[in-house]
Amino acid sequence: MRPKKGNLTDATKLQGDKLTEREAIERAKQGDAEAFKFLYDLHKRRVYSLCLRMTGNTASAEDLTQEAFLQLFRKIGTFRGESAFSTWLHRMAVNVVLMQLRKKGLPVVPIDEPTEPDEEVTVTKEPGAADERLAGSIDRLELQRAVDELPPGYRTIFVLHDVEGYEHNEIAGMVGCSIGNSKSQLHKARLKLRELLRVNRAEKAMKR
Amino acid sequence: MKCVEFERVLPEYLEGNYLPAQQAHLQTCAACSNLLADLKLISEQAKSLIASHEPSPALWNALEERLRREGLIRQAQPSGFRLRSFSSRWRLAWLVPVAAAIAIGTVVKLHYPMKAGDTQPVVRQESIPAPPAKPISSEDLQLLTTVAERPPAQRAKYRANLDDANSFIRDAEQSAKQDPSDIFMQQMLINAYEQKQMLYDLAVYRSEPGEQ
Repeated sequence: MRPKKGNLTDATKLQGDKLTEREAIERAKQGDAEAFKFLYDLHKRRVYSLCLRMTGNTASAEDLTQEAFLQLFRKIGTFRGESAFSTWLHRMAVNVVLMQLRKKGLPVVPIDEPTEPDEEVTVTKEPGAADERLAGSIDRLELQRAVDELPPGYRTIFVLHDVEGYEHNEIAGMVGCSIGNSKSQLHKARLKLRELLRVNRAEKAMKR
Repeated sequence: MKCVEFERVLPEYLEGNYLPAQQAHLQTCAACSNLLADLKLISEQAKSLIASHEPSPALWNALEERLRREGLIRQAQPSGFRLRSFSSRWRLAWLVPVAAAIAIGTVVKLHYPMKAGDTQPVVRQESIPAPPAKPISSEDLQLLTTVAERPPAQRAKYRANLDDANSFIRDAEQSAKQDPSDIFMQQMLINAYEQKQMLYDLAVYRSEPGEQ
């Protein structure tokens, strides 16, 4: 995982009463309630946001966040610090969400099947015609809405790669697809997002 | 190179594998150049979603209960904020109606969607646009006064979270005002008010705000 996109600085810096993440982990292994709360507060936004983006549903996201932290705290005694704690937790959260999606029968990755030409996400344009650009900016709410509208499979790949910062080989391992499939589905997800953003903007403009 | 060929190799291009033919095509094709710029923008902006949401305070309570039930929390005493005396809670009772007012305000706002030219915000302190100096409303000031005796780090967190919540409300109100029939933005507005109400709840029942 690319560390530049992680929250490792926040996760290791001193906070509040000078408890560090490392100390909190050791105290949590002894069953210390405050240490559990400290670790939860440190990582809850990132884990909850991941669950929310991948499911698009606040109730499911809260259930999955609870499940991810519960699994983490059950296994915290086995954490030896070979990897960053945040990496360990986020990977656990991703697995919890993927397992839930599979249970519900939702695709965690779109299946590469031959599609009709009009079903394929492509960019259609007249030869030589210039497409309208997204005007150089996208605000967070606008993007959030478009991501929520993505089909579940596309959403999973997009969130894991572009939001969470996982590499294609990691995603392939987590969702059980080829690296090539992960790459092609990410590209289709981005194209679909562009289309959704443009449609949403056009609808908004018409209502004004 | 034609547009169709460029699109086929675009994923590789976005990963930094450039070919001279692709570069040449981009120089002459505005459509592909715009497409490339948009996809890069989407990918870059996606990072802003990484920790964009706060779970409800009830989530920790439920989790803590399960941890205790499973014997993972071995402390005999409940955590500090649970030990607050009844009288201490009673002193903060004024916050309950304030939180209720926020909740009612949200409901009223949704039942009477804003019209063009409507300049009457339901909750006074979140009026649009945000003044640059961020003056604090009397309700917010009262909350900060209530937590004034707590440690400086905690007070700072309350203030930071309050600013975040107010900013979220302003953004959501602005978007909802642009398109009052937009259900998604209405939901965002509800979420924004809930986030603020959560802060009031925390001040009433617990000793520390959500941290991150």
